[in-house]
Formats: sequence, C-alpha cells, structure tokens
Amino acid sequence: MHATLCDLIMDLVQNSVEAGASEVELTVRETGKQIAFSVKDNGKGMSRDVQAKATDPFYSDGKKHAHRRVGLGLPFLFQTADAVGGRATVESEEGRGTLVEFRAAADHVDLPPFGDFAAAATMMISQAGSFELRIAREIDSDRYTLSRTELEETLGDLNDTQNLMLMKTYICSQEEDLRKAG
Amino acid sequence: MAKLTLDDLRKLRDEKKQAMNQRDAEGKTAQVIIGMGTCGIAAGAKAAFDAFLDEMDKTGVTHATIKQTGCMGLCFSEPTVEVKMEGMPDVVYGNVDEDTARRIVRDHLKNKTLVSDHIFDKPSTDIIKD
Repeated sequence: MHATLCDLIMDLVQNSVEAGASEVELTVRETGKQIAFSVKDNGKGMSRDVQAKATDPFYSDGKKHAHRRVGLGLPFLFQTADAVGGRATVESEEGRGTLVEFRAAADHVDLPPFGDFAAAATMMISQAGSFELRIAREIDSDRYTLSRTELEETLGDLNDTQNLMLMKTYICSQEEDLRKAG
Repeated sequence: MAKLTLDDLRKLRDEKKQAMNQRDAEGKTAQVIIGMGTCGIAAGAKAAFDAFLDEMDKTGVTHATIKQTGCMGLCFSEPTVEVKMEGMPDVVYGNVDEDTARRIVRDHLKNKTLVSDHIFDKPSTDIIKD
C-alpha cells in the first residue's frame, strides 16, 4: 500500500508514461475541506473490458511480466478512496487516453499524509521518454504550474543530478510560496 | 526561500554549469537507474531517489546520471537500483533505503567498492566480500 498521496500520484503518472502518452496533465488541488487530484493522458487507453478489470488487484495484462498475476497501481487508489469515504474514477477510451480522478475529505482520519510533492514532481518530470507533463498545483485560489518541456529547455539534461537538484529547489520554492499564500 | 522564476532557475543553472565544467571535464561515466513501478513507489523509491540526489550533491559526485524505469520484475527487493559504472561490474542493488542509497554514492560511485550486503544480482562471487 502506498504511504502517501504523492505516491499514488506518482504511480498514476508513471502509468500514463508507460501507456505511451505524449501529453500528461496532472492537477493536484487542496482546499481546507477537500483534496483532489486527476491525471489525464493521451496514451493508448483501455478497452471497456480491460477497464472493468483494472481495479482488480489480481488482474494484469501479463505483457510486462508474464508470470506475475497482480497489478496493484489502480487497486491501491481505489482501496485508499474506499478507506476514507472518498471517490476514485477511471474513464478511458482505447486509442484515445485515460482520465483518472480522486477526491476525498481533507480531514478524514485514515487519509494518508500528503507527502513530499517537490520530490515526487522531480521524479515524475525526470522520467525517461519524450512527453509533455503539465502540472497544476492549487491550494484554495492560489496556484502554480510546471511544464516538463519548459523545465527541460531551461535546465537541459533531466538525468543530470545537478539539474535535478536545481529542479527540486525550484519546485520547493513554488510549494513554499503556495503554502504561505494558502 | 524566495519564490524562484524560470529566469532565476536559468541563471542558477548557468552558475552551476560553470563551476561544474571547471571541476569535471571527463563527463558522465556512471548511471543510476531506479525502479519506479507500483512496487518501487510503495517500497520507498522516492526516498531513495531523494537520498541519491542529496548525497551526490553533498559529496560532489558529478559523473553520474539518474534515470528511472518501471518495475524491473524484482518487486520483493524494491526499491531496486541498477548501477552501471566504467571500471565496475553492472550491479543491481535491492532494498535500497535512504541509508543504502547514501552508501552506494559514497562507496560505489565515489570509492569504487561494492555495497556487498545489498547486491541483488551478484556479478561474480569472487569480487564480493561477505
């Protein structure tokens, strides 16, 4: 089970990149009452049949690891939503892409801690491949946005540790500013 | 910390780059590859990634790059990290928590000795110390 909400988010974005998406949009929104996030991609999507099975932990398409009969990414999301009286939904169309949404009351006692967003975002942005990841991060009415392409243009190689360190510092400063404002 | 703009970030990068070029001209000779499947994330891949970044920054290791991959199929030993480096055997480390990540940076990347007690895929029995 994932320890923080950021872990759930990372898992979803990793799914999108692995589904061959060239555009991924992540929104993470907090208000005093609610916490919500969504990941929308234009990856390969899922058929109705696969979609129905995707929340079953004992289903995997078996392509990546032929003998492993579990797939826990989405089931973790739904388990967390169930545990906190929240809601998780998946909408997908084969060949078009997938939208995953999650929302829950911010004060539920069983809600996992939010986690370190700057580190999570750095990891998500620096994943291998050529894709655009746009992140919109909102607390109440304040927000900041990140774009993978823009950061890559600014920093250069996203596998370079110095560049990654700088990116994290940059995102930390955005987070701090947002928390102060929010 | 004051809120940075993209322009600030660009400036910081240029400053770092100059310092880096003076220090290290030989380029990147090592790769650290972190598994980031559901299993990796659940086991703490983010903490490991963060520790790698921090320790490399602290110890001035600039010859390594960090990459990520999905599940490597070794879910039971996550977080799993592959390290490839010139003059060293390719090694897969298992159960890489924060401390282990820091040891890999200091011992493997810096001092060229293996962190034997976390090696998942043993390259050859005669080069590992028990």
